[in-house]
Amino acid sequence: MYRLLARRGADLLVTLFGVSVITFLLIRLVPGDAVQIMLGANAEVTPERLNALRQQLGIDRPIWEQYFTWAGGILSGNFGSSLWTGKPVIEEIGARIGITIELTLLSLGLAVIVAVPAGVAMAYLRNSASDYVVRILTIAGVTVPSFWLGSLLIYLMFLFFPKYPAVGYVPFTDDPWGNLQRMLLPVIALSLPVLAALARITRSAMLDALGQDYVRTARAKGASELTVVMSHAWRNALIPFVTTLGIMAGYLFGGAIVVEQVFALPGLGRLMLGAINERNYPLIQAAILFVTSAFVVINFLIDLLYVAIDPRVSLK
Amino acid sequence: MRMGTGYLKAGVAILALTSGIAVGAAAQAKPLEIATDASPVGLDPHVVTSFASILVTKNVYEGLTAIDDSLNVVPALAKSWTVSPDGKTYKFSLRDGVKFHNGEAFTAKDVVASINRIKDTKTGSPLASRFTVISEAKEVSPTEVELTLSAPSAPLVSQLADLAIIPASAAGGGADLQKGAIGTGPFKFQQWVPDTYILLTKNESYYEKGLPKLDGLKFNIVPEATTRQVGLSSGTYQMLPNIDGALALTLKSGSSVNVLETTDLAYSLVGFNTTKAPFDKPQVREAFNYALNRGKLVDAAYFGLGQPAGPLSPALKDWAAPTSDFACYKTDPVKAKALLKEAGFENGVEVTLNVLGSVQSVVDAAQVVQAQLTAAGFKAKLNVQEQGAFIQDWRNSNFEAFVSLNGGGVDPDDYFTRTFKTGGSTNVYKYSNPEIDAKLDAARASNNKAERQKIYKEVQVELACKGPIAHLGYANLFTALGDGVDGYKILANRQTRYLRETTAK
Repeated sequence: MYRLLARRGADLLVTLFGVSVITFLLIRLVPGDAVQIMLGANAEVTPERLNALRQQLGIDRPIWEQYFTWAGGILSGNFGSSLWTGKPVIEEIGARIGITIELTLLSLGLAVIVAVPAGVAMAYLRNSASDYVVRILTIAGVTVPSFWLGSLLIYLMFLFFPKYPAVGYVPFTDDPWGNLQRMLLPVIALSLPVLAALARITRSAMLDALGQDYVRTARAKGASELTVVMSHAWRNALIPFVTTLGIMAGYLFGGAIVVEQVFALPGLGRLMLGAINERNYPLIQAAILFVTSAFVVINFLIDLLYVAIDPRVSLK
Repeated sequence: MRMGTGYLKAGVAILALTSGIAVGAAAQAKPLEIATDASPVGLDPHVVTSFASILVTKNVYEGLTAIDDSLNVVPALAKSWTVSPDGKTYKFSLRDGVKFHNGEAFTAKDVVASINRIKDTKTGSPLASRFTVISEAKEVSPTEVELTLSAPSAPLVSQLADLAIIPASAAGGGADLQKGAIGTGPFKFQQWVPDTYILLTKNESYYEKGLPKLDGLKFNIVPEATTRQVGLSSGTYQMLPNIDGALALTLKSGSSVNVLETTDLAYSLVGFNTTKAPFDKPQVREAFNYALNRGKLVDAAYFGLGQPAGPLSPALKDWAAPTSDFACYKTDPVKAKALLKEAGFENGVEVTLNVLGSVQSVVDAAQVVQAQLTAAGFKAKLNVQEQGAFIQDWRNSNFEAFVSLNGGGVDPDDYFTRTFKTGGSTNVYKYSNPEIDAKLDAARASNNKAERQKIYKEVQVELACKGPIAHLGYANLFTALGDGVDGYKILANRQTRYLRETTAK
């Protein structure tokens, strides 16, 4: 356990170092720096003025020097401040992360709650009419882009329930009911592709398990169908399911950027997108490091889950 | 069991994170809910002059003068002003008893400090070149300021409307104006949650009695047009300022929405690099103009909600020359081909147009232009760019030609001098025409309106066909108001001055 933890910790450090260098360089390779974006096209500026502004923001120095100043700051716990609001980036990220976590967890929850029974039922009733219908629906679900689905849901909701508060954002702590009302559509838009993918993987994993000898044995010894499906087959189908779950956590985060944009939710995704558009360097860098760490941690948790699910897997 | 506590810990960690979702202030007096597409990049009124920033800062800051809904100059922080006979000395008498939002009294010192800050190269203000003509700003008394100019400047009083007066204490670096705002205007800066909203509250001690009528303004940043549209129709938002025809058309069909309309001062354009082949040849630029069918372009790209026009917006009724004055505004592909042949491009010419990708109407217009050019022998390639890349190429004159959208000023000199004069601050086209230079100088120095009108007419005729810019058209500009929002007037320069007189249910 501890050895695995240490190895993962070392992995994380190497990954973070690589990601930090790449992010730092990439965002500066994009044409148009913070000052240019700030002034926009058609502003009257001389080169001297551009330089004066760059100096104010500290982006006039050589790239390597900027990198080491920044990296040195991180080692002492200082991630820098947002170029435009001046607040520490940690504060900015902290204020927004909750919304993204709420959105992702609700979506993941919805996806699992619907996908597992649907997948199991599809496998159990394979090649029946309902299996075909659900399979077609899941293919549609996997291929529909969330931004399109999001806009469509807003429209439909407005068409049928014009007074439903479909857009805008209310903090959960101010108005829990209003918050959940407004979360409904984004959660559906974000979870549908995940739900479809999970249902499909559940179906194929269950089909696989139901064909195994131990299922025949279980039936032969007189176990009820429910026990056969849920304790014998499903338990074995869990491994591929959990693997997909880990990959989907990554998808959910990418999807959240798009969905937050469509529904104007002030989450981490919009913060990052805005920061990229405005070349808010310290914020982009810190946010990407944060997301990278979250991924590594999630994958570590998934590894631990394997152990819990499958006694043959050990932590050695 | 060891695993069990692991799950528990993860669960606790997640709960701890989700409970921190509160963003922003608790509910208070109800502000007007405004939805806009772009987030400002900084709030310093002397440094950031994008539409997104001005939308907010113009409600917090005021100038000595202001522009009203007929685009006339009216008094603001200055009660009145006098000009010396030689046009080089302006005396402004200032309003009494005005207070900044931080409680400091407004005096002549603040005016002097604001002007000096804009002119200081360390500030890096894009507005600086407009005010280089001011050689000295002097405090005569706490309520009197005298400006000395190096040369007469007819557009000065209208330009002063864009010179935000900040407290002298902030001008010296006492406050970071990029991140907060301290003005004298009808609304006070309260809070900024990046990419989410900016909240302004009522200035209770505003000098205009009874204004503002609203409790505050909340500028919600909502990038998706659909979301803004549904948000307005369903009552989540109460106002969508400065929207385009596509969105306005959809909103007009709804019931409880009131759509205001005017002609925009901003124009879409194709700009040419006059030092790079093939647009270094005036014939090629003229051929380009002959190739365009501006009427059809307005129909296709703006849903017919706009009009073709020359270098000045038709909203500037006193100044804009009618399109019938411009020979090349009559579509004529044959003539265009003949001009290309004259320039040495007998078999047509390949051109690349950089396109500002962040504005949909610009991309739409570029595609129509591309199609129209084909008949005249131009093979146009569109290079749709992300805004950062576009801006960089624009500033470095690294283009053959580009398609973009520019904001316009209320005095013709504003636009003409910086754009078309040799070495002008936004003359990225590297256009140089001594005759135009002389005319622009003469018009700027004159205080006789009829004389200026005559000169600008000649300038427009020359620039319309052979200048460095093909002006495509002026779209209509819209503002949509929700149920119960009253008293707002739309301005061609996109400013939201009348929010102070607006009421909402």
